[in-house]
Amino acid sequence: MINIQDIRDTARDMLAKGEVRAVIGYRRGSRGMLAEPAFITSPEQADELVWDPTCFHNLSLYLVEDRKFLAHLKKNSDAPIAVVAKGCDARSIVVLLQEHYFKREDVYIIGVSCEGSGVVDERKLAPLLNGFQASNAVFAGDDFVFTTAQGEKRLPAREVMADRCLECRIPFPKEHNVVFGEDKTGRELAAPFAALTRFEAQGAGERWNFWSHHFDRCIRCFACRSVCPMCYCDECVVDSITFPVTPATTAEEKANRIRWIERSATRSENITYLMTRAMHLAGRCTDCGECERACPVNVPIRLLNNKMEREAREKFGFEPGASIGGPSLVASFLDSDPGDFIR
Amino acid sequence: MTKKRTGVFVCHCGTNIAATVDVAKVAHEMAGEDTVAFTQEYVYMCSEPGQESVVQAIKDNKLDSVVVTCCSPNLHEKTFRDNAQRAGINNFTCEIANIREQCSWVHKDKNKGTEKAIKISRSVVRRVNRNKPMEAIAVPVTRRAMVIGGGIAGIQAALDIANAGVEVILVEKQATIGGRMLQLSETFPTLDCSQCVLSPKMVEVKRHPKVKLMTYSEVQEVTGSVGNFQVKVHKKPTFVDPDKCKICDDCTVVCPVVVPNEYELNLTSRRAIYIPYAQSIPASYTLDEEACLGLNPIVCGKCKDVCEADAINYDMLPETVTEDVGAIVVATGFDLYDQENMPELGGGKIEDVLDGLQFERLCSASGATQGHILRPSDHKEPKNVVFIQCVGSRDPAKHCAYCSKICCMYTAKHAQLYKHHVPDGRAYVFYIDIRSGGKGYEEFVQRTMEDNDTLYLRGRVSRLYRHNGKVRVLGTDTLSGQNVEIDADMVVLALAMVPSKGTTEIAQVLKIGRDKDGFLAEAHPKLKPVESVTAGIYLAGAAQAPKDIPETVAQAGAAAAKVIALLSQATLSRSPLIAKVRPSHCTGCGMCVDACPFIAIRLENGKAVVNEALCEGCGSCSATCLRAAIDVKNVTQLQIHEMIEACLAV
Repeated sequence: MINIQDIRDTARDMLAKGEVRAVIGYRRGSRGMLAEPAFITSPEQADELVWDPTCFHNLSLYLVEDRKFLAHLKKNSDAPIAVVAKGCDARSIVVLLQEHYFKREDVYIIGVSCEGSGVVDERKLAPLLNGFQASNAVFAGDDFVFTTAQGEKRLPAREVMADRCLECRIPFPKEHNVVFGEDKTGRELAAPFAALTRFEAQGAGERWNFWSHHFDRCIRCFACRSVCPMCYCDECVVDSITFPVTPATTAEEKANRIRWIERSATRSENITYLMTRAMHLAGRCTDCGECERACPVNVPIRLLNNKMEREAREKFGFEPGASIGGPSLVASFLDSDPGDFIR
Repeated sequence: MTKKRTGVFVCHCGTNIAATVDVAKVAHEMAGEDTVAFTQEYVYMCSEPGQESVVQAIKDNKLDSVVVTCCSPNLHEKTFRDNAQRAGINNFTCEIANIREQCSWVHKDKNKGTEKAIKISRSVVRRVNRNKPMEAIAVPVTRRAMVIGGGIAGIQAALDIANAGVEVILVEKQATIGGRMLQLSETFPTLDCSQCVLSPKMVEVKRHPKVKLMTYSEVQEVTGSVGNFQVKVHKKPTFVDPDKCKICDDCTVVCPVVVPNEYELNLTSRRAIYIPYAQSIPASYTLDEEACLGLNPIVCGKCKDVCEADAINYDMLPETVTEDVGAIVVATGFDLYDQENMPELGGGKIEDVLDGLQFERLCSASGATQGHILRPSDHKEPKNVVFIQCVGSRDPAKHCAYCSKICCMYTAKHAQLYKHHVPDGRAYVFYIDIRSGGKGYEEFVQRTMEDNDTLYLRGRVSRLYRHNGKVRVLGTDTLSGQNVEIDADMVVLALAMVPSKGTTEIAQVLKIGRDKDGFLAEAHPKLKPVESVTAGIYLAGAAQAPKDIPETVAQAGAAAAKVIALLSQATLSRSPLIAKVRPSHCTGCGMCVDACPFIAIRLENGKAVVNEALCEGCGSCSATCLRAAIDVKNVTQLQIHEMIEACLAV
């Protein structure tokens, strides 16, 4: 069980000593029970930090934002940023470090173990609260306790937990500077890739109908891309809208920007976008599930990313974000790599 | 950008293309392209008149780019690029659209074939539209060569290169050069002594002022590319100074450690300090680090005490040297297929069942028995010897699918040698069929059968086992249709030739391809039989495929000629179609660095930088980059995008 006071003390102490220039954590949201990202820069603010089952955001996203901001100001980082990271979030940070997006010394990882439970899925919770809004949520062993206008409601965690947490294999941030909570790796509540396995048991026709339905509904708001720490490219290759113009950009480059997809949110363009994104996340996605959570029309994006993750795991024994010095999936080749799927 | 004036030249290739593709329609469709100023079709575009017409059309129509829709660019890209240059335009503005290998040859329906040929041609027209004129990159050449493997192939290649005045480094893994040929007794079809014909060459290569000999050494790492390789060679310590060693043999007499002698195929034993053969080059002893009782701390030291020449130095350390060379010949030879894979023939565990190389050592005057054929179990002269051909060869279901090519001949030789040594003995040969193509080969086999009274039995042997002090051979004679049972004093297996262990290792180090059987892959089975798929690396000998000595020597000579031709150029012209980074898009993630098989990309200040001398333009980086931040020149993302669009007809 994590004592939130430990996280607050760590944050306060580091800010007071000037060891970090900011702490990124979670605080109570402005409305309802949901936590929101908090950016703490003074020791007094440390008491705002919270840790509860609604801390689902992958805060490594803000490390990416910070680096982009510094690049814009043409400044180097003068002190590290501390960030509260769950297992999946810490693996995201490892991938970013593998890709040299920032240096290890630029980040101070305050690891938090999910201790085998995880975070709540609002969509699963809503029908269980009889139409009432929860104002608070806390961990309670294998349960979550929610406070509503009707009083406290205790629900088994596994009933309201996000699917990705149920399937999580390593709910512990191996890469950390300091870590709170017990390592309960191995306590899998559902088999890894359970949702994907269920989905793939269907026939090709059913699967195509399923995806046609979802690809038709995507409105290409790009929320999945915006919330993803791995989607840090200045220019998204599938989307000419994000074409970055720098002083080095030539007129020819501006004129000849490639449009792999049209702007219209039609099925074929949506397929190209979502499939390309899945491919570009192969070996990089750590299944933090933020894309699926952020999707306003509930496209099951995780299934696509999970598919790539499972292929990499089964064919190459590859775990994204396993170690900083490890090889990357798509750029490394071994003679022992299987070739039986190349025909 | 002013509009291009592209010429499209459609080749019929006789009926190769024209039978499946309506070439007139392809030309007509291409004429409708915005940038196409001229189209022409011709029956053989690569013929002299065809080529002339291309040159003339470029001049007459003021064309600035050319698309030839014909066969694979592997064949005629150079031809037509040269023509473009002859006509006064840049050769890199000429591209090939492959409508033969990738279209007409693989399709039957003419309508669909034509449709596809149009798409292929149109995509290349669009690509050429954005091709930029380029100049080939000139790279200086290191005028030195390396030969890896010191068998007959390596020795011959090294001599031929050195005799052309080019410095050669000959690297051999074992303590002496000579390889497999030095282990042979006599050679077919003339029965001349193998060592007698080989040793003059060994001496020559040792004394040649242009040859640097590195024995007991292994190639560890190779970087660079054609014309400029950097090779790291690991030189193991022999603990004996070859300049001081007088080959007196005092050290082996006192050495207390006895281990199987791998140079005698484990038929005899040797000491921890040993010399492989009397003819060894360098003529010096080697201390086997593994077998020696203890170099560190020195617990024995008998050999050093007895060495009057003071040649033994226990403090010798391994060395790693880096050699710069312009070309490499790989001649790493063969091993025999492991007997363990043949359980029905004893799996190597039955006494007096030998492999071909062991029999060579029995026959050899320098071998364990001083040239007397004695069977290993009781040192008696065998009176019944069974030779079995195709052991492990020509068996796609369980063993090697290929024919090992030399076994018919050396088995005939073995039978003759046996009969010469033991005139009253009986030799049997089990064979599937006799393959004796070669000068004097068929006559040699006939002599074995007729003059040397050898009984050839057409059939396979199903089982071998010990029976009453002999080896019982169960087989079939398919000509008489009878089962055959022979109680043999000795059995010799003609095991399949497989690529040596060193060949497998060197292929990984050099990053050169291997074929399905593990032999080194040649760049083209007919037209480039001595080139590996990597430019500047050549192949010689049995590492490439099973072959006999004359063929090996011929191939070594051919590889040497290629090396000499390559190194006779002052500079090499390299393709300028290499990777180029768009720094504004590069995030410095380093995936291209990992993906590059040529170690041509590094990160500098958080951005990828391409080494132009090393980049081969393979495009692995471009395919890996998530950000389209690295392109191959004239195959840019934009060009690929437009080619795809052309194929999708949008």
